[in-house]
Amino acid sequence: MNAEMRSRQISNAYYNMGLEKAKERDLTGAADALKKSLRFNKYQTNARNLLGLVYHEIGEVGAALAQWIISLNFQQEDNLAEEYLKVLQDAPGYLDMADQAAKKYNQSLQYACSDNEDLAVLLLMRMVEEMPNFVKAQQLLALLYLHHEDYTKAGRCLFQALKVDRYNPLSQRYMAVAKQNTGRAEVEKRKLKNAFSHRQMQDDDIILPPSYKENTGLQSVLNILAGLVLGVVAMFFLVTPTIRDSITSRYTEEVRRGLELVNQKSLEIDSLNRQLEEASSAQQEAEDSLAAMVNNSGGVLSQYQHLVQILDAYRTQDMETAVKLYVETDLSVLNDGVLDNTVSWVQQDMAQNGYQVLEQLGDGAVTRGSTAEAVDYFQKSLQIKADNIGVIYKIGLAYKAAGDTETANEYFGNIIMNHPNSEFAAQAKEQRGY
Amino acid sequence: MLDFEEELKRFGPSLEIGKVEDAIGKEDLTDMTDLMVELLNEKRN
Repeated sequence: MNAEMRSRQISNAYYNMGLEKAKERDLTGAADALKKSLRFNKYQTNARNLLGLVYHEIGEVGAALAQWIISLNFQQEDNLAEEYLKVLQDAPGYLDMADQAAKKYNQSLQYACSDNEDLAVLLLMRMVEEMPNFVKAQQLLALLYLHHEDYTKAGRCLFQALKVDRYNPLSQRYMAVAKQNTGRAEVEKRKLKNAFSHRQMQDDDIILPPSYKENTGLQSVLNILAGLVLGVVAMFFLVTPTIRDSITSRYTEEVRRGLELVNQKSLEIDSLNRQLEEASSAQQEAEDSLAAMVNNSGGVLSQYQHLVQILDAYRTQDMETAVKLYVETDLSVLNDGVLDNTVSWVQQDMAQNGYQVLEQLGDGAVTRGSTAEAVDYFQKSLQIKADNIGVIYKIGLAYKAAGDTETANEYFGNIIMNHPNSEFAAQAKEQRGY
Repeated sequence: MLDFEEELKRFGPSLEIGKVEDAIGKEDLTDMTDLMVELLNEKRN
């Protein structure tokens, strides 16, 4: 067997070893074996592809890509590497995410090496949330936690790392440290609680509480944040309700006073409305009374006016005017008792003399040929003295002269029927045509 | 206990995607066959 064949056999043997370890999740051991396989035969495609897979599994995506690309260069056809590369390229945003993870890890490593451990922790915390199978990042973060004696968090990181690479020696060693110190820390805490000192204290001695420990920057930040949160919660549950109740109480009192004022004003408005209604009613009554008094068709005031004019006509001996006014006046409404004597005197005089004046006025109208005016005067004369037969006859004559024979016969018939023994009965018959 | 500084030295950088091409170019792909060929050539020479 030549050397080349021997090398290939050894390469294959290491490949098989690597495959077995990979199946057991001993990825660190698998990677070592596969690298040795490739040292003996760089063309061992399966070993190189499997090595790429192992790198990908532990979060080293860049290293995985490199192996698969090399594998494809050595064997273009019938090569699984082509399929692996296509899967990664087709996954949207995956390569960017992997690239960012690698950059953050590298940056965190620089921070850790330059004493910026808090920044390194912050960066790694966010990165491992996106890529929890990044073993190296989990280990670095665990180391930082261990350095800060935060053994519980370190344990969580190492647990994740060991899930991916089960027998990773670094992870196992760190985990042992974390477990060891976690148990011891609890015991020491219990001891410190019960401890007391036998030494006599001096005046300048300072008592440190058992729970005291020097705060790191990260813990200070966390403590400040916790304080802010507690402050907001206290404000929300303690102060805000009190303020709200105070405001609510003042508001309620103001609303109550406002409602009382509104109620009071409403009552005042109701009272004023009633007064307004009463006043309006009284006003209406007064207006009605006034209207009754000033009504030209029979108002009291108008009748008083007529009486005054009648008396004035008497004073100037203008009987014609006095009589004309008298027949248009309703002296019966003037019954307040003040002018009774005056009214009575006027009525008596008119009954004696007034009707004659009207008859004469009627005669004058007949002479002028104004039949309607004559009938009007004769009718007014009859208002004062209704049984003036001569005036009735003259009315009949006036209607007959006007051509209204029918109406004239009515007046003539009135005389014939009602006053057959009067001096005008015969003339009435003659006029009637009997 | 752990020596933090010493432990840090165990950690190397991770290969970023953008630097894969450079990494491939620098990859030592010499295998046993290449070494034996080289040895044989040196011996011949």
